Amino acid sequence: MPEQQAPNGKPFDPVESFREVRDNYLDSWAKVMIDVVNTDAYARATGSMLETALSMSAPFRTAVEKAMLQTLQQLSMPSRNDFVSLAQRVSNVELKLDDVDAKLDRIEKLLTKGPAAQRTRPATRARRPPARAEERKG
Amino acid sequence: MADVCAVPEQLTGVEEKLLTFTKVVNEKIKIDQTPREVIWTLNKTRLIRYQPVLPASQRHKVPLLLVFALMNRPSILDLRPENSYVHYMLHQGYDLYLLDWGIPGPEDKDLKFDDYVLDYLTRAIRKLKSFAGVEEFSMLGWCIGAILSTCYAALRPDDGLRNLILLTAPLDYSNPDMTFAKWIKEPNFNVDLVLETFGNMPGQMMDAGARILKPVENYLGNYLRLWDNLDKPAAVQAWQAMNTWVNDNIPMAGGAFRQLVTDLYRNDRLIKAEWHLRGERVDPANIKANLLTVIAEADHITPPCMSKTIIDRVGSKDKTLHYIHGGHIGIMVGSSANRVTWPYMNDWLAARSE
Repeated sequence: MPEQQAPNGKPFDPVESFREVRDNYLDSWAKVMIDVVNTDAYARATGSMLETALSMSAPFRTAVEKAMLQTLQQLSMPSRNDFVSLAQRVSNVELKLDDVDAKLDRIEKLLTKGPAAQRTRPATRARRPPARAEERKG
Repeated sequence: MADVCAVPEQLTGVEEKLLTFTKVVNEKIKIDQTPREVIWTLNKTRLIRYQPVLPASQRHKVPLLLVFALMNRPSILDLRPENSYVHYMLHQGYDLYLLDWGIPGPEDKDLKFDDYVLDYLTRAIRKLKSFAGVEEFSMLGWCIGAILSTCYAALRPDDGLRNLILLTAPLDYSNPDMTFAKWIKEPNFNVDLVLETFGNMPGQMMDAGARILKPVENYLGNYLRLWDNLDKPAAVQAWQAMNTWVNDNIPMAGGAFRQLVTDLYRNDRLIKAEWHLRGERVDPANIKANLLTVIAEADHITPPCMSKTIIDRVGSKDKTLHYIHGGHIGIMVGSSANRVTWPYMNDWLAARSE
């Protein structure tokens, strides 16, 4: 039996026709849905649903947190808040270390530039990047 | 007439296709693989330097710092070697750095834009300049990264920023018809309740929000596209790389998210020069760096109206506004990115990086 031919000469592909119909349908549907989610009614409805869900779960969440805290205290184990507090202190130490690093950079720059400036030579790089130093070796 | 005997074979074919489809959807592939070194860290933030591919003599003098959003991984800039902005820019001769904000934990819930701009970004830039031995640098901010870059450029105009590229920058929130603006305006969205519950804004919630902007395309069309191309390995790999990135959601620090909602979406303080970070007013008029603003014409997350007004507010003498056909992410990773977006940005930047 000869294959059915499409007007452009290519063999008729029923799957391709189905895809075209499907894609056209999806395009129309997509446009409608974009308009739907852009309405004030949708915004109000989702906001309201989210608020209700979070408000309703709050008492359970608080109860679980309290129970967990008491259990950890009885077991002499650190709680989430203890870890949070510790992490914040470590971050503060990191900030101080970065301040020290910045000061060292400034001092190194001054030391490098000072004698060079006295000899009226152009300023050189404050600190040679390790990667570039490696490239020179290569 | 259809061959009835062939039906079992066809069903087997569909079954195999379904199995492959399920495997592809659930499998994560390796992305973000360009060689790099970490040169600075602070809390979760890391300053990364990508290994240059050209010798120093062939590289541009001014290094480039990439600043990405707070709520997604920056790996979108380096998806796969054949589709990587990082890879492309290294081959164009840039000394390339990336600020990876990391994943905020419960201890970071109070971090605000103030901290990100004035502590993290400022310190990372100091380190970059010291490491590279330069006084000037360029910065590319994408999405929320563009907000951070704009704030930095406005607050520290004399800190050596020579070129600023803002990519799909959400800076102007004056249009009340934007979908996000409708969703999170008062009283629709209770930001305090959400942050009281979660501390940080969960990545999954933000991801769902972004997907619902185009629900049919993101929840159905995306998977149908994969189904149709399942016999094309290159298309499958590209889909998987993108899917891996899209599903790698990270939370946004609670303090910063609250500012995004209240100061920006609800009160539009940045473009009106009324936003204060640690008491310092962020005035775009203070920006002096050469400015390129790239707008995606079909951006549904940052509509063009959010990005175009900045060009009239900055003090820069050299400023360019450029539109590219495509979406928020598509202009940087889509099929035309390496033919249109990247070469354009490279031409602009290369001419200003010597």
